[in-house]
Amino acid sequence: MSASPTPSVGDELPRLVIESVDAEKMKTMAALLADSNPIHWDVDTVRELGMGDQPVNQGPNNLGYVMNMLGDWAGGAERIQNIRVRFLDNVFAGDRLEAGGTVTAVGDDGAVACDIWLARDGTHPVLAGTATLLLG
Amino acid sequence: MPTPTIEELESLVGRQFPGGTYAVEPWRVWLTNDVIGAPQRTDNIAHPMFCYYAAMAGLGISIDEMFTLCYASADDGPMFGECDIQQFRPLEVGATYTVRGEITSAVRKQGERTGAFDIVAFQLEVVAPDGEVSSVVSNSFIFPRRPR
Repeated sequence: MSASPTPSVGDELPRLVIESVDAEKMKTMAALLADSNPIHWDVDTVRELGMGDQPVNQGPNNLGYVMNMLGDWAGGAERIQNIRVRFLDNVFAGDRLEAGGTVTAVGDDGAVACDIWLARDGTHPVLAGTATLLLG
Repeated sequence: MPTPTIEELESLVGRQFPGGTYAVEPWRVWLTNDVIGAPQRTDNIAHPMFCYYAAMAGLGISIDEMFTLCYASADDGPMFGECDIQQFRPLEVGATYTVRGEITSAVRKQGERTGAFDIVAFQLEVVAPDGEVSSVVSNSFIFPRRPR
């Protein structure tokens, strides 16, 4: 755990950029999760379903990127007390993603609330929600 | 699969999952960190995504069995709704956690474009070897429903 920031309401969290989502890592995660859904590793299936021509990233991976963004800012992902998100759209192999957020409340006890998001090309939202972190 | 009646849907609330255990294996932590781009740590603290992985893997039934329980199948096009993770204390690499949980709500909605759909929410506790709850994970699935 490293030093944590001193936030104020309205602060933008430093963005985390994933330059290109890696299809090979989706295969690893499919094996780790015993996830039999072929949309994560079989391009033919993705095409047959009319979903394009790139594998679809696992939703939890997208949440993991946002947690990484929070952890980088807060001095460790273990400072995340709560995170609540909705999955808004699919992420595909090769997508460029940005994760970010805004501080919405700062408590006397060190608790900090944030709006958080993950967006394709920094503009198209694929995940949005809120998080609470305990800084200290 | 036929659309359940409201009574059948509401009868899901309170249904407990078999539960089980989940071991936070070091190799699994390393590979997961590599996949999601998280730092490889040396302090035995697992990435908070392991709250989710532990909860889902320790549920005691598969996702397909979950769909069946909710009167649906993968062919019905179920979607992930919301995910809420409370991390009271980080999961430890090498520890084995117990998972328990139940369905907490089941409601029918009507969308103008989508037609009828059900939202089934469930809550899972990830319990540390010392008996303390390390994490609570609440998820929901959305099940599109065709007319009965």
